[in-house]
Amino acid sequence: MNADLLSNWLEWLPDLGRGLQTSVLLAAVSLAIGIPIGLLLAVLVSSRRAAIRMPSIVLVEIGRGTPALVVLQLVYFGLPNAGLTLGPFTAASAALALTTAAYTSEIIRGGLEAVPKGEVEASQALGMSYRDTMRFVLIPQGMRIAIPALVGFGILMFQATSLAFTISLQELLSRAYSIGSSTFLYFQVLLLAGVLYLAITLPSGWLTGRLERRLSRHL
Amino acid sequence: MEIVRDPQTRTGSDAVDVRASAQPTDRLEVSRKGPPVVSLKGLSKHYGENVVLDKVDLDVSAGEVVAMVGPSGAGKSTLLRCINLLEVPDAGTVTVGDQCVDAGKEVSAKDAMRLRRTAGMVFQSFNLFPHLTVLRNVSLAQERVLGRSRAEADARSMELLERVHLAHKADTYPARSSGGQQQRIAIARALAMDPQVMLFDEPTSALDPEVGLEVLAVMRELAESGMTMIVVTHEIPFARDVSDRVVVMADGGIIEQGEPHQVINNPQHERSQRFLRAVTER
Ligand SMILES: Nc1ncnc2c1ncn2[C@@H]1O[C@H](COP(=O)(O)OP(=O)(O)O)[C@@H](O)[C@H]1O
Ligand SMILES: [Mg+2]
Repeated sequence: MNADLLSNWLEWLPDLGRGLQTSVLLAAVSLAIGIPIGLLLAVLVSSRRAAIRMPSIVLVEIGRGTPALVVLQLVYFGLPNAGLTLGPFTAASAALALTTAAYTSEIIRGGLEAVPKGEVEASQALGMSYRDTMRFVLIPQGMRIAIPALVGFGILMFQATSLAFTISLQELLSRAYSIGSSTFLYFQVLLLAGVLYLAITLPSGWLTGRLERRLSRHL
Repeated sequence: MEIVRDPQTRTGSDAVDVRASAQPTDRLEVSRKGPPVVSLKGLSKHYGENVVLDKVDLDVSAGEVVAMVGPSGAGKSTLLRCINLLEVPDAGTVTVGDQCVDAGKEVSAKDAMRLRRTAGMVFQSFNLFPHLTVLRNVSLAQERVLGRSRAEADARSMELLERVHLAHKADTYPARSSGGQQQRIAIARALAMDPQVMLFDEPTSALDPEVGLEVLAVMRELAESGMTMIVVTHEIPFARDVSDRVVVMADGGIIEQGEPHQVINNPQHERSQRFLRAVTER
């Protein structure tokens, strides 16, 4: 049995490995697009002008309130009705980037607000503009504070890439599922998929701890 | 030398229209030094019901060092913060150099920024930028606000760091420095904007007495170099030996001011007697 399991795993590994690549790529693209938008939203939500602040808050709340799976289905199956058809990878990237933007904007806003008030006052006292204060003082410090939470969110987002299974993207879970349906060895293949997810998430969590210590060195 | 003990009774209607550089008032002749760099007229500020500054008048001449003392809650910090518009006053005018701001009118962000860089500020808690090296701390605003090149700014920063005896810290991060060193870096950072006046808000209150001395030594050198300074402090020896004038604030107003030895050794106002006894006899 154990030898069987091992030989099965070895047989499936190349296929699932490609699926894992797609999952990692999807997570990376979603985060790379979503986090900068999240930063932008965080800055807009902190704006003193209500005309900028209010629409941003509405956008963030809608983004956070809607399940990622619904956004995903909406983009892949819904948008074609509006004349926009996207491939599964593009659709999944767009949907997860939107969710990422909404969630990380709140994480980053928390980081910005945690920067001591004296930092802003010192910049103002030097005659620096609001923009420069944001760019050179608040954002660098706020992002550092936000990084542990952002990495935590990134790990969740990597797991959420398995939702793309529902739009037939050939990521890790969907490849495992199709092997399962042709071999009926669901347990074994899904177990391997789980191990492969862990192979990414566990070291990421461990790296976060190190990163956190490194970044807080000067603070 | 005539000392004005209570300018509020002296400056009647003529206080309203006096704009900085122009005509010297009788009060300015009191000082041994130049024309006013900071001029506050009828400065008022309240938070809700709490009147924090009540029609304060204050002129500080070029090169003059004013020590400001008074009990906690007197409004000293608020006064300093109104001078560089970290707080917006409700009424009165603030003039720094040739920048004049009228509390009644809307102050544009641009005017506020211009006024702020004429006044350097040193905070009780230093407020250095922890994510930047000491050199970048001092250079950043020179580049962004004064438009200096990186090389120009860094050269000027090194000069100033040498002046506060911390050139060797240039490439380290602020957290690697002691509190006293951090405060001296903060002084260098403020000086880098070539301000016309330096505002100090209890610069040594967060420091051990011994470490405070190195900061006071730098401030003394600065005073001797002719810098105009307003120093909120509880350091009575510094007020007595370095300042040209001691101003006592209580309950949102200036209750007494004059030549340092006279005010410290022989305060006239009952409230200043009480306060000065408390700080000198500790
Ligand atoms: N941002 C603020 N909001 C409300 N009240 C304030 C604020 N800042 C200062 N105050 C009040 O103003 C008064 C004067 O404060 P402050 O200028 O800090 O006095 P000092 O520096 O002389 O101790 C205090 O009663 C304080 O509680
Ligand atoms: Mg104070």
